[in-house]
Amino acid sequence: MKTTIRPLENRWYPYALLAPAFLVLVVVSLVPFLFAMFLSFYEINFGRIGGFAGFSNYSRLMDNERTWNSLWVATKFILIAFPLQFILGLGGALLLNKRVWGRSMILPLLFIPTMMAPIVVGLVWKVMFAGSWGLLSYNIVERFDFLQGTSVFSSPDYALLALALVDVWQWTPFMMLAFFAGLQALPVSPYLAAAVDGATPMQMFFRLTLPLMAPLMVVIGMLRFIDAFKVFDTIYILTAGGPGTSTEVPSLLAYRMSFEQWRIGESAAFAVLVWIGFFVLCSLFYHTAKKKLNVF
Amino acid sequence: MTIYKIESKSILAGLVVTAAAFFYGTPLHAQSWSYAEAAKPYAGTTIRVLDEITPLQETMRKLVPEFTKETGILVEYELLGHGDVIKRGQADLFSGRGYYDAIMLHSMQMGPLLAAKALKSIDELIENDALTNPSLDLDDLIEPANKSLVNYAGKQYGFLTWNYNQIYWARADLLSHPDEQALFKTRYGYPLAPAETMQQMRDIAEFFTRKSGETLAGEPLLNDFYGIVLEGIPGGTTFTTVWEVFMNNWGGGVFDSDGKPNLDTPENIAALTFWADLWKFAPPGQAEYSLIDVPTVMGNGIAAQTIAFSDFVLGVDKPGGGAFAGKFVYGGIPYNADNPEARSAGGEPSLMALSIHSKNQEATYLFMQWMIDKATQAKQVAAGGGGVPIRRSSFDLDVMSETTRLSLYNAMATSLQYVRAKPKAPNFFEIDSTMAPLVQQVGIGQLTAEEALKDGQRKVLSICNDCLLPE
Repeated sequence: MKTTIRPLENRWYPYALLAPAFLVLVVVSLVPFLFAMFLSFYEINFGRIGGFAGFSNYSRLMDNERTWNSLWVATKFILIAFPLQFILGLGGALLLNKRVWGRSMILPLLFIPTMMAPIVVGLVWKVMFAGSWGLLSYNIVERFDFLQGTSVFSSPDYALLALALVDVWQWTPFMMLAFFAGLQALPVSPYLAAAVDGATPMQMFFRLTLPLMAPLMVVIGMLRFIDAFKVFDTIYILTAGGPGTSTEVPSLLAYRMSFEQWRIGESAAFAVLVWIGFFVLCSLFYHTAKKKLNVF
Repeated sequence: MTIYKIESKSILAGLVVTAAAFFYGTPLHAQSWSYAEAAKPYAGTTIRVLDEITPLQETMRKLVPEFTKETGILVEYELLGHGDVIKRGQADLFSGRGYYDAIMLHSMQMGPLLAAKALKSIDELIENDALTNPSLDLDDLIEPANKSLVNYAGKQYGFLTWNYNQIYWARADLLSHPDEQALFKTRYGYPLAPAETMQQMRDIAEFFTRKSGETLAGEPLLNDFYGIVLEGIPGGTTFTTVWEVFMNNWGGGVFDSDGKPNLDTPENIAALTFWADLWKFAPPGQAEYSLIDVPTVMGNGIAAQTIAFSDFVLGVDKPGGGAFAGKFVYGGIPYNADNPEARSAGGEPSLMALSIHSKNQEATYLFMQWMIDKATQAKQVAAGGGGVPIRRSSFDLDVMSETTRLSLYNAMATSLQYVRAKPKAPNFFEIDSTMAPLVQQVGIGQLTAEEALKDGQRKVLSICNDCLLPE
């Protein structure tokens, strides 16, 4: 018996399935974004919308040294945290994939840092490294004067590095689990064929594993990159952007502009600019991955 | 007989007139006024009040049901942390939502909120005899904190409700130790005692800064010990209160008398240099310390002295408050020996203000008034086993002469003579956010005081030229 799909059903069915998700996206993402865009062109005094301001919010933002500083801080943060998370995550996943002893016990443990709320992660590390009363800073770092008269989060040289390492601690297990899931899903036959051909483990890794894992790596990498840029809670708890402004990332600056100083117009302009920046970056990333790695 | 009658009538008339005058005048009003009577038209009304959560307000929360019982006005008394009460309160006032009828405000919020015309002056309510307790005695409120906080352009905006103030806090066991006293006298040429001047505070800080292995009060130290600890994190608005104290005591300040930024003056540079010098004797993590961390460090016993908010002492120096509870001594904030006339103390006097969007202004006013009423304040101090007075008369209460805390209350009384509200600057938070990181960099030695203040002056000028609200 032959089944036929009616043309109308065929045409609208996918859209109907997508509609709820699309509606949620519009309500929680598109509407606030459009409103932010609207606000960025208006003079806003103490939360009240005034007259049209043209690009003055944008120009004030561009003239503010703190804007550029925060972008540079975020870039450094990503440059430290992201490669470490990626390499350690992939390395750990490869190790787990080797059927290491106790894997069934290790896997659930790896979820713990990822499942913790970032604010809790901040508090945990504060208890560890808070200057002069943190468990590790008081008993080790300061007792042996490792940082010569300063503490981890008070040092302009180490604070950002330490914050990036906290991020590595929290998110490497996530990368590891995601890559491990990817490795588990790889087909066995190419490896068997390569083994028959006498390929070395290194050759198998570079010629088979990496190309087969590329789509997953690109997606996970992009998500983590975006997420690392948005880091807020741990920095707010551990350094509040200091010392000076050496750990003040864009999220923290935007938060301060919005909720402490009520510079809503400027912070909306900041959000729009960051969004445009990410749109361009992610588009580049997407097209490069599509072209060079045959992903998507 | 007739004459007698006339006299009798005259006497009677006189008595009637006198009685009428007596009953019509204030004395009758004073005798008959009660919250229950004043609140009759508003019984059953629900008001929402936002306040900060500290042990002081926790005590007040226990008393609030008494107000409801007396007046029939239901009070939703919501307590939030320092940062949240500022953000949520301001959001409610700026947005015009009017969810809260009264909101606790720190003095630094007055500038933005008055500029936004978000607060209701209570002058008309105060003048309403039916609503105002004739025995309220506003002259009993502690000055200059009260008037510098609630008054603006000839009007009154709420009541001083919380009188947060900073005090000098030191380790009595160390300062009174015979070995330490002898050594200090030899080295500095005057007796070791709680610091009264900034210069003495510096000497004490230097004297007690010791490495592990050295001796402190006859015992070998297992870890480094620090001569002083101060707030150092720029995230909290109270950081400014600390370094501003030094500037004020040196005769400087953030603004000049016309409200223009006045940061890079010789007085401010000298003050900030002195303040930064103290960082040499502080724990390495001082740049991370907020107003909460400082009492923690004092409670942990790794620093000899501090300048801190006095209400935090109540949580540390109490039975069960830690190994060093009972071993502290207090004083008013030290003054600059080179400029005693400029004496100033840090604090954050805070008020309960009436939202301009409140739909229950009379009922809310009654509650605000009740909070600062002498009887309520006495109960608040008694229930809290002490407290931070807003009234001068509260210092005379029995609980305040409790010997174990006498030193603390005397310190508060001294500091409060000099605590003023912050100037009413509409851009306060932007100025604060600009200056705090720069000043912190002076503390950690990344910038000199001169560099930071010069840069700060330039940046603050780009925010505002006339930075204060016109009186």
